[in-house]
Amino acid sequence: MSELKIIGKPIPRHDAWEKAFGLTCYAADFTLPGMLYGKVLRSNHPSARILSVNTSRAERLKGVKAVLTAKDVPRNESVTRFGQTHAVGGGFEGLYRVLADRKVHFMGEAVALVAAETEEIAKRALELIQVEYEPLPGVFDPIEAMKPDAPLVQEGRSNIITHYEVVKGDVEKGFSEADVVVENTYRVPFVDHAYLEPESGMAWIDEDGVITIRVSTQVIEHFRGIADVLNLPHNRVRVIGTYVGGGFGGKEDITVEAFLALLTYKTGRPVKLTYTREESILSHSKRHPYVMIYKTGAKKDGRLTALQAKLVSDAGAYVYLSPWVLLYSMVNAAGPYRIPHVKVDGYTVLTNNTFTSANRGFGAPQVCFAYESQMDELARRTGLEPEKIRMMNYLEKGEALATGQVLERHVALKETTEKVIEALEERTSPSGQMRIGRGIASGMTSYGRMVFLHDTSRSHVSIEMDGSVTIRAGIQDIGGGQASSLCQITAEILGVPIEDIKIYIADTALTPFAGTTTATRQLYMSGNATLMAAREVRKILVHKAAGMLGIDPESLDLVDREVIDKEGTGKGLPLKEVVRACASDGLPLYHVALFKAPFRNVAQFERIEGQVFPDFTFGTHGAEVAVDEETGRIQVLKLISSFDVGRAINRLSVEGQIEGGAIYGMGYSLTEEVILNQGITMTPSFSEYLLPTSMDVPDVETILIESGDGVGPFGAKGVGEPSVCSVAPAISNAVYDAIGVRIYDLPLTPEKIVRALQSKVKAEGYL
Amino acid sequence: MEYLRPQNLKNALHLMKQWKKKATLIAGGTNVIPDLRARAVRPEVLIDISHLKSLAYIKEDKRKIHIGALTTVSELASSKIIEKWAPLLSHAANQLGNPLVRNRATIAGNLADGSPAADTAVPLLALEAIVVIQGGKEKQVPIHQFFVGPNQTVLKRDEMIKEVIIPKFNPNAKTAYFKLGLRNSMAVSVVSIAVLMEMEKTFCKKARIGYGAVAPKPIRAYRVEEMLENKELTERLLRACCETIGKEISPISDIRASKEYRTEMASVLLKRVMKRVTQ
Amino acid sequence: MKVSKTYPLKLNVNGEWKKTEVTPRETLLHVLRERLGHTELKEGCGKGDCGACAVLLNGKPVNACLTLALQADGKNVVTLKGIGTPDKPHPLQESFVKKGAIQCGFCSAGMIISAKGLLDENPKPSREEIRKAISGNLCRCTGYKKIVEAIEEAGQNIKKSVGRSQ
Ligand SMILES: Cc1cc2nc3c(=O)[nH]c(=O)nc-3n(C[C@H](O)[C@H](O)[C@H](O)COP(=O)(O)OP(=O)(O)OC[C@H]3O[C@@H](n4cnc5c(N)ncnc54)[C@H](O)[C@@H]3O)c2cc1C
Ligand code: FES
Ligand code: FES
Repeated sequence: MSELKIIGKPIPRHDAWEKAFGLTCYAADFTLPGMLYGKVLRSNHPSARILSVNTSRAERLKGVKAVLTAKDVPRNESVTRFGQTHAVGGGFEGLYRVLADRKVHFMGEAVALVAAETEEIAKRALELIQVEYEPLPGVFDPIEAMKPDAPLVQEGRSNIITHYEVVKGDVEKGFSEADVVVENTYRVPFVDHAYLEPESGMAWIDEDGVITIRVSTQVIEHFRGIADVLNLPHNRVRVIGTYVGGGFGGKEDITVEAFLALLTYKTGRPVKLTYTREESILSHSKRHPYVMIYKTGAKKDGRLTALQAKLVSDAGAYVYLSPWVLLYSMVNAAGPYRIPHVKVDGYTVLTNNTFTSANRGFGAPQVCFAYESQMDELARRTGLEPEKIRMMNYLEKGEALATGQVLERHVALKETTEKVIEALEERTSPSGQMRIGRGIASGMTSYGRMVFLHDTSRSHVSIEMDGSVTIRAGIQDIGGGQASSLCQITAEILGVPIEDIKIYIADTALTPFAGTTTATRQLYMSGNATLMAAREVRKILVHKAAGMLGIDPESLDLVDREVIDKEGTGKGLPLKEVVRACASDGLPLYHVALFKAPFRNVAQFERIEGQVFPDFTFGTHGAEVAVDEETGRIQVLKLISSFDVGRAINRLSVEGQIEGGAIYGMGYSLTEEVILNQGITMTPSFSEYLLPTSMDVPDVETILIESGDGVGPFGAKGVGEPSVCSVAPAISNAVYDAIGVRIYDLPLTPEKIVRALQSKVKAEGYL
Repeated sequence: MEYLRPQNLKNALHLMKQWKKKATLIAGGTNVIPDLRARAVRPEVLIDISHLKSLAYIKEDKRKIHIGALTTVSELASSKIIEKWAPLLSHAANQLGNPLVRNRATIAGNLADGSPAADTAVPLLALEAIVVIQGGKEKQVPIHQFFVGPNQTVLKRDEMIKEVIIPKFNPNAKTAYFKLGLRNSMAVSVVSIAVLMEMEKTFCKKARIGYGAVAPKPIRAYRVEEMLENKELTERLLRACCETIGKEISPISDIRASKEYRTEMASVLLKRVMKRVTQ
Repeated sequence: MKVSKTYPLKLNVNGEWKKTEVTPRETLLHVLRERLGHTELKEGCGKGDCGACAVLLNGKPVNACLTLALQADGKNVVTLKGIGTPDKPHPLQESFVKKGAIQCGFCSAGMIISAKGLLDENPKPSREEIRKAISGNLCRCTGYKKIVEAIEEAGQNIKKSVGRSQ
């Protein structure tokens, strides 16, 4: 291929136009005649036995069409693979319970469902359902929950879901070789995804009796799990994904789908169910809180000798993706550093808190906060500049992680660090009580799923008689430009303007399966599948045209709806003529490609070894902060993100991901926390759960490195999740730089800053 | 639920008298509508006064500013008269809630809601505003007597705020306002403070200090005011004031901040406003 | 169940008068979305915390979820669809798309409304003024930078086109 024409350009996304005009039909915007409104009754106890559920008053209410409890669910409990097809075992599959049965395990767990003629009636019906609870002792702290006498969260199973370890060398030896050792305990909170669009969907039964669910989801392939709930064959449930109003991992698990399927199945009518914001915060998954005990050793000259960590994550009341998230944390726990001796122990533990699952970064940001805070302390202790000590220890291409996975591709951390330091420029001068500080942090985040999940994606590209192009791919577009990137790739290969392309996405009945829009995998997986499919179609066209023109196919190119001779002979043909000629010859004007990630199998789960991920994205964040020493308020003045994105398929989308990710990480650092008090949510809405506003954020500066060495199409890497990873430690390190105190638990609230400063003054006072 | 839209103040008062406890008065609705949604209030009748435009005004005469009950927070925030004669209120209005809310929220609604963190109340306390209440007959209540407790005011079921009067202050007086919240927009005050000081060089002739979110209601810091008035402002005196304020307030702990933090910040903010006005 | 009384409502939405019957409890957001089909405005929180539901009410940006439908009786409401259409896009819509200010798009309707409210009063706002004007509109995807740039650019484009027509 010659010079790229469309890839790499900042091209506005086709879906952005529709969104700008208010034409996009999000999940809650869809209606059908005769539809009912669904509502969910949720438990108001974090741990209790259900003694009785009396639905008769609700059923008698005029306008109520169904009231369902656990006994009405054909298969209330199933083991779910979370949309994945390959069975892995090893505790990787979790219990999915549609409605609480004998017990409720967390506050907000679904107990009953209602469908009614109006939303008001449905709400009223919920009030009429009488549930008698007997409160049971609960456990709300994962460390407590690990103790032998702790109450069991789920009957018949230990609270400890999994224990993993990573072992490299001999840490004892490593620490004995160290001149400095720092040891700290870090804590990170529950976090909400806080997508602006609450969970929503609509279900109906089509004229063939297929249960059809149109839903805001990151995973249409939950249709299998939903069919299992209804005891129906998989091909009797169809899921259509909408353009998603933000996902960030929170719409990776089933949200409203099974409820909708049940209600429509029982009533025979279309049903719509949309959560309120409060319901969303109360009931959907959260980012895992972790307790992380870290011990890191280094030589006087800064070389790392050993790292030991113990990670405990709070899984909440159900397993969901907790083992997966923990596994990510395990692989990432030592960071992108060359450390001869490593030992990491990780546990994920059930509690009676809201369940936790995927959240942008998937276990990587948590440990990054710990290992990058440790690196900063080591820098102070060794007297090295924070960037120096990092540069000295960064892994390079060809070296291996503590798990043994060899980094087969470019590791750009030296470049990203240099760029960030450069971009931080002059230090802002302090004024009044404001202290200025700056910090950096680097991180790594995988893109693509764990290789033992045997991930695949498919894409169908076809060209119509008039030269317009259609893509069919079962991807979910969650706002990151997922659909649009596939259009760009196809436009590039087939030499047509992007307007000539129509893409159909996210329909289990009509689009080939492309897997989940999670794990920063879509560009990598479906981008490659689409690239393969488009190339096949191109091949057919070029060969036909070569015959028609009597030119060697090698010298032909597709440009601007024409087949042209690259040699500049002026010979060529309009693309559509070639298409017609192909059609009359009965040549296939389409191709379905299947892209496979590398497949590996796990020998055993307990000890993690070898390749776990296809590849990683590396990057560095730099922050400059102003800390008000008296109030503890932090203002982020500069936030710089530098990433090796391999290749920017769409510069606007890439920058958008990186800017948005940086602010997502800033919220994690400073204000965001779902506060649970004995299992009870104290932050039920956006007036308590605080996202950064436009007046809180700096203009994020993005510096892209394009090594071209990613495993995605055109050498691209994924950035959706990596963009969050190292923000919190960069900010926390900047805070340390400003005021000389380190906060070991997120978020860095004003009150924690003030307290830490006070203890510092006290400690120094005694010296 | 019924909905009534009185055509004038008199009519509105008549309806309030008629429905008493069964009715809820609604102006901008930024407190009432979320309460209705959460079923925190379940009125039988809504009396909507939002369209009574004759109650939306900012006027000045020789000695006073008159602010009609239905004046929106945006109108306060952009008013030249307020900027000149009640800059404290201007600052507070500019930081209340967010721009969308400010276009609906009214001054009377903010006061009548009676939140301990009510942002317009704090500058109005320092400015010694008067709340004009219309019931059977008109009453003028100094704002420091208006609040009774958390979400409680002196307003009776059949009374309404008609306007707020702010006496024009000595043009030489110095003022300052600070709101401490957890973010820069859409933040409920963790602590807020407003001061008005009449100074002759470093001699304080008059001090008025309002605080929000540090007691069951917006308060004046009388003891500190007394310590300052008719005194030479020395470092030592200011330090003593910053200590005293901790004893004068009674904050609570909630998810936003602990009572200890609020107490310390009350003192920090006092120090800051003092610095501002003595500069 | 007690049935709430309904009342007639007349609204001018995007230049067209609409009539319907509503209960007192219904918000402007609910009526626009559920009764009048204006699903371009979004519900992100239902209580003033997110700005996704913003509309211009008699020219001023407000939260439609914090306004009872009956409080808007007889008034002019402008939604995103009233600002521009694919045939006649408003400079804000163009700049939002071209600058990459739209990702998931759930905040866009409200953002563009707040921006419109600002530019109507102040066609050449500073970045600070822009940040303030959209500070009641949360965006979880973009980090706001591209939104601020888009509004700035739209302001310049509006000025240019006004300049030309004069
Ligand atoms: C997102 C959001 C953010 C907010 N942020 C802040 C903030 O930062 N600071 C702050 O102080 N407040 C804040 N508020 C609260 C609210 O906006 C203000 O209190 C507002 O000023 C209330 O005015 P309103 O006209 O909307 O009142 P309404 O909701 O109409 O009424 C509030 C109360 O006052 C009564 N009332 C209204 N008018 C009168 C009258 N003339 N006479 C007697 N009683 C009357 C009503 O019956 C009701 O009890 C916020 C609200 C929201 C939704
Ligand atoms: S829905 Fe109206 S502000 Fe969030
Ligand atoms: S673009 Fe998704 S919330 Fe703004």
